[in-house]
Amino acid sequence: MDHRQITWVVIAAYNEAAMIGRVVSGVLDDGWKVAVVDDGSRDDTAANAAAAGAVVLRHVVNLGQGAALQTGIEFALGRGAERIVTFDADGQHRVEDLPAMVAALDDADVALGSRHLGGTEGASSGRKIFLRAATAMSNKMSGVKLTDAHCGFRAFRATIAPKLRMRQERMAHASELLGLIGKSGARIVEVPVTIRYTDYSKQKGQSPLQAIRIMFDHAFRR
Amino acid sequence: MIARIVFLAALVAIGYLGFVRRNRLPVNIMLLFVVLGLAAVAVIFPEEMDPIAQYMGVTAGVDMIVYLVQVGLLFVSLHFYTKFVDHQRQIAVLVREMAILKAELDQSRRGTASPPPVLQPHADQRARDAAE
Repeated sequence: MDHRQITWVVIAAYNEAAMIGRVVSGVLDDGWKVAVVDDGSRDDTAANAAAAGAVVLRHVVNLGQGAALQTGIEFALGRGAERIVTFDADGQHRVEDLPAMVAALDDADVALGSRHLGGTEGASSGRKIFLRAATAMSNKMSGVKLTDAHCGFRAFRATIAPKLRMRQERMAHASELLGLIGKSGARIVEVPVTIRYTDYSKQKGQSPLQAIRIMFDHAFRR
Repeated sequence: MIARIVFLAALVAIGYLGFVRRNRLPVNIMLLFVVLGLAAVAVIFPEEMDPIAQYMGVTAGVDMIVYLVQVGLLFVSLHFYTKFVDHQRQIAVLVREMAILKAELDQSRRGTASPPPVLQPHADQRARDAAE
């Protein structure tokens, strides 16, 4: 079964003008519906995403990735989406992995991409060690045992979405989401995906030092 | 002596700002003036605080006041931090609502809008979030 007509791909973007057009085109060309949430960018992210053919939702102020994803998810639900995928704006995720992610929901409520089951391109050994450590810590905190706890490539059924409403606006939403998934009783499956680390994505990505802020948000801003 | 005048002036200023400038509820005003009155007594007769402090297990009245101020500041900080987080969440709800409505408007102008009833439950959910 082709799930493209019942699936929305949600992309949260902040100052991604350089890459967003290419990412949107890649997803649209493969036949998926795309909603880009421009999280108060100061560049041409919204214009470039719209020019590439995405539905663009614009936050008038920057709220953070968690809030942006939640906006896209609610829009997709309003559009009658049965399956929703969250996809990065910086080109780290591959369109080729989308069908497997969405198809995994045939037997699960939530599908989480795992670069440890799949692979990485261009990741430094330091980053790999950091991700392993973050996953071990996250597994302890959320109670959900995963091989990759902080992969932004996720898919879930619309029916489980109300239980996964994120309140963390910024990057702590990833940990919050895992906690919500753990509490929801959702059937979880991990799907092998390949994450591409390019110079662009590394420059845009999270520094390991930001883990401290994420932990603070997760601990105190519930 | 100068310190006492400064402290008393500060108490008068707080009373003025809290009572005259703002139209507070009576219970708040009464509480404010009780606190200000006690603070004024502590400034004018600091030695009178010693027995109360010793009764509460603190050596000197001044120390007791410092402890109370610390607790008060912590309470105020947490109160405003909680308010700050609440306001951020309310802003997120408003910004989200605006983004979705604007996108729906843009889509409807292009003739590809979704039927309004589908959006309704989520709008209600957002309203409940805002009210929390």
